[in-house]
Amino acid sequence: MVDYTALLPAGIVIATAVIVLLTGLFIEQKKILGYITLVGLLTSLGLVLKGWNANVIFDGAPFYGAIVVDPFAQIFNAMFLIVGVLVAIAALKAYGDNPRQDEFYSMMLLATVGMMVVAMSKDLLTLFIGFELASIATYAMAGFDKRDPKSIEAALKYFLIGGLSSSLMVFGMAYIYGLTGSTNIDTIASVFGANPGLVTTPAILLAMVMLIAGFGFKMAFVPFHMWAPDTYEGAPSIVSALLAAGSKKMGFAAAFRIFIVGLVAMKVDWYIAFMILAVLTMTVGNILAVVQTSVKRMLAYSSIAHAGYIAVVFVVVAYWNAPDSAVNLAVTGGLMHAFSHAIGKAAAFIAVGAIAYMILSKDKVDDPNHVSNYDGLAKRAPMTAFLFALLLCSLAGIPPLFGFTSKFVLFLSTIEAGLLGLAIICVLNSALSVYYYAKVVMRMYWGEPKGEAFVEPSTYVFVLAIAVIALIALFFAPGDLVYQWAETAAHAVTGV
Amino acid sequence: MGLITILLLVLLAGAILSLLTKTTAQARGVALVSSFGALAISILMYLMYDANFNTVTHYAFEESGTWMPSIGIGYHVGVDGISLPMVILATIVCALCTVFSWTESKRPNQFFALLLLMDLTLIGVFVSLDFFMFYVFWELTLLPMFFLIGIWGGPRKDYSAIKFLIYTHIASVLMMLGIFALYYFHGASTGIYTFDIPTLVNAYKDGILPISQFWLDFIFVTIMFGFMVKMPSVPFHTWLPDAHVEAPTIGSIILAGVLLKMGGYGLFRVLLPMMGVASTWFIYLIALFGLVSILYSPFAALAQKDLKKLVAFSSIGHMGFISLGVAASVLAGMDPARVVAHTGAMFQMFSHGIITCVLFGCCGVIEHHTHTRIIDDLGGLTKKMPKLAILMIVGFFASLGLPLCSGFVAEFGILSGSYHTMPIFVMLAAISIPFTAGYHLWAVQRTMFGPYNEYLGDVKEIKWFEFLPLAIWTIIFVVLGIYPEPIIGMMQTTAEYFLLSGDVLPIGGIHVAAGGAFPW
Repeated sequence: MVDYTALLPAGIVIATAVIVLLTGLFIEQKKILGYITLVGLLTSLGLVLKGWNANVIFDGAPFYGAIVVDPFAQIFNAMFLIVGVLVAIAALKAYGDNPRQDEFYSMMLLATVGMMVVAMSKDLLTLFIGFELASIATYAMAGFDKRDPKSIEAALKYFLIGGLSSSLMVFGMAYIYGLTGSTNIDTIASVFGANPGLVTTPAILLAMVMLIAGFGFKMAFVPFHMWAPDTYEGAPSIVSALLAAGSKKMGFAAAFRIFIVGLVAMKVDWYIAFMILAVLTMTVGNILAVVQTSVKRMLAYSSIAHAGYIAVVFVVVAYWNAPDSAVNLAVTGGLMHAFSHAIGKAAAFIAVGAIAYMILSKDKVDDPNHVSNYDGLAKRAPMTAFLFALLLCSLAGIPPLFGFTSKFVLFLSTIEAGLLGLAIICVLNSALSVYYYAKVVMRMYWGEPKGEAFVEPSTYVFVLAIAVIALIALFFAPGDLVYQWAETAAHAVTGV
Repeated sequence: MGLITILLLVLLAGAILSLLTKTTAQARGVALVSSFGALAISILMYLMYDANFNTVTHYAFEESGTWMPSIGIGYHVGVDGISLPMVILATIVCALCTVFSWTESKRPNQFFALLLLMDLTLIGVFVSLDFFMFYVFWELTLLPMFFLIGIWGGPRKDYSAIKFLIYTHIASVLMMLGIFALYYFHGASTGIYTFDIPTLVNAYKDGILPISQFWLDFIFVTIMFGFMVKMPSVPFHTWLPDAHVEAPTIGSIILAGVLLKMGGYGLFRVLLPMMGVASTWFIYLIALFGLVSILYSPFAALAQKDLKKLVAFSSIGHMGFISLGVAASVLAGMDPARVVAHTGAMFQMFSHGIITCVLFGCCGVIEHHTHTRIIDDLGGLTKKMPKLAILMIVGFFASLGLPLCSGFVAEFGILSGSYHTMPIFVMLAAISIPFTAGYHLWAVQRTMFGPYNEYLGDVKEIKWFEFLPLAIWTIIFVVLGIYPEPIIGMMQTTAEYFLLSGDVLPIGGIHVAAGGAFPW
């Protein structure tokens, strides 16, 4: 008798999506659907957290190994569900009066399921299905404010580029299938490991270029990043939160599995590619973030820069001189950074949405996200400004927030691997990022207020407070909770 | 729970409570209780120091616990003869600063909360014996100062605040890389991955790390860079005058009085034991940084029109003496005077911390009462503000190194103790003495004496809450100038342990060339 309980978290989210979608057809008071969504997500999150430290929970035998639940899948599932919870609470306020909110909730739940499926996939086919499920749901969500031309532009760009990247990815996967005769990631790894002749064929190089480009678009690596700022800026803020914090991490979940597990035999080839991508992504992301005047767009570029930091994981893993301890530490650090960035960035986008909402309620402005609107925000909306400043600190990697710990571990791995040049580029980039975050804090704390005080929406403040408390608690938590979890997950991926 | 944890918690509680208050009186009340409570605890620690001293680890009031065991991060605090005086300095300065800002009316709750937070993070740096904690507190000191400059600062506060933040942050992240390398190589060679400062520093010092000279030097240079920027040493000093000019008076007092000492403290705590293993020319580099700072500061100060900027440059010179003293004291030489140089350098940190409070305090009072700091606009203030004039004259004389003030004891110790190992450096440093005296006297002459500038209007005498802290600081440095034993005794014990026991440095010091004398 096979124990299927490990699949319950995903099952609950699917069930909630169906319930929300169907109930939405029949009832007038749709606000209740938001609460149903929340209950579903929280139950699922609770189940994920309950089994966080188990080693292999579900080996996927009934699905021929296509779906597994291991610590790696669990930590990503937790990330997606936490982001989902934050977005769902914010949506209670943002779309509380919207007649189409049932669609929003069900799409959000389906997107979350898609992401979870990707994290649990050990097969290219299920991985691709999960990817598409999450992508199609988020395409529609990006254009959810359908009367806002920016939202439409965001959705269209996201859709076109998403389609392109999916096709590139499938192209690469098809070649890999052709070379190895399998879509199972473990089998692919063993076939490449057993046939060193395969590794040098031009076909595998082509497949890898396609995969890197395909994932590069999803994770918004420079030079595949052009869509991200427009999409994150144009989409409704809470959708941007889901995209930057959830959808992007899904790309990392998939790339970790495919490259670090499946294509590890070719690591010398992708070492150079990821080295260039990581350095370009963090540097360009940070430099372009400095010159932005829209806070939301700045967060979009900072999200690109953070993708660059996480890409460091691939460089360290692929570096032939790196000791095993450095490889594990890098994946651990990458997972921790993905975790801290998911919470911090989701909450930061929600904060931008909350601030835009307050500004539009009092001031007459064209672009509520323009940085000049943040002048004196600490006086007009003290709670929101304080929490937003702390979230920016976490993104900048300033203690005592979890963003510091995760960056600390990630950068530590570069030194362990002996990649001194990369380490210096990383920390200097991190120092540069402090500049643009500090600029916003300066506007909020010592700019002249442009109007009277706001009434701060309690729902938004609640979401931000949860995120900040979580980030502070994870920093101080004795017994390094997330570290151990990430480390077990890292073992599951690297196998050393 | 030991006294150090209680000390940190008292300040943290004070900061949070003060943030929740509404009026100046409430915020000030909370801040007074909390900061004087911290002062009382630090004095208690001073009195109980000998009884709690652990002769094995050479720390007192040590506490350790686990925090993140997987990567070897622990809660480890303790004090010794270097750090306890720094803790006392921080609590004295911050407690009197709360008195000094008695009538602060702009966002008083945030102001006093940041003041207490500043105190907390500075003490955190001085008591941390774990590199992770040390680095966390080191970074955290930036935030309160950033806000103090930004919210209560002068006209160019945006530029100064961000320059301060980014400049010193870059230095810290590079220092972090050095710490990483030290951590990793220690872990890889011994199997024990830990961020514990004594463990790592001892491993480096004992030469048990199986790494190339490049990595040894890399560790040394990155950490040194972090400390040299914070001290600050010429040529990494450019953030300091800007920060001082725009900072509010309290910000300047804490910045010069305590925050700069973090760099000097790091020099003793981390770099000094490493000096024997890293390339020996780094010792000369540190001495050279000190010498250049000593020689540069009086000339830069002479050119200043702004009184506060003048005082800021004087700090750079005084901090240079610390680098020089440390570098000279570790070199080989038969003369036990090396201990004098070392003790002098430690005492210079404490002494300058107190004296500079008076200088910046006087600048603040003058600015507050006359609404200008430009030296040419001032003059004849003795007629209107006799009490301030006395404090300022005594303060400036102390700063130029007048005997009977603590600055003289410290600088005399450094110069006389360094002479045997670095005679040329000491002779060159001595060139600065007349110029240092010159700019101090000239500044006092132009602001305090001469005809009164009638454009200033009717200037009122210094208020009691400004007078009291300045007077207490003055009494402290005069008393320590006459009888430095209470502070210097503790430092000397540590210096003797460092230099003569063979535990920290080779007995007799580090040999640079044949004969151990200065090679030139």
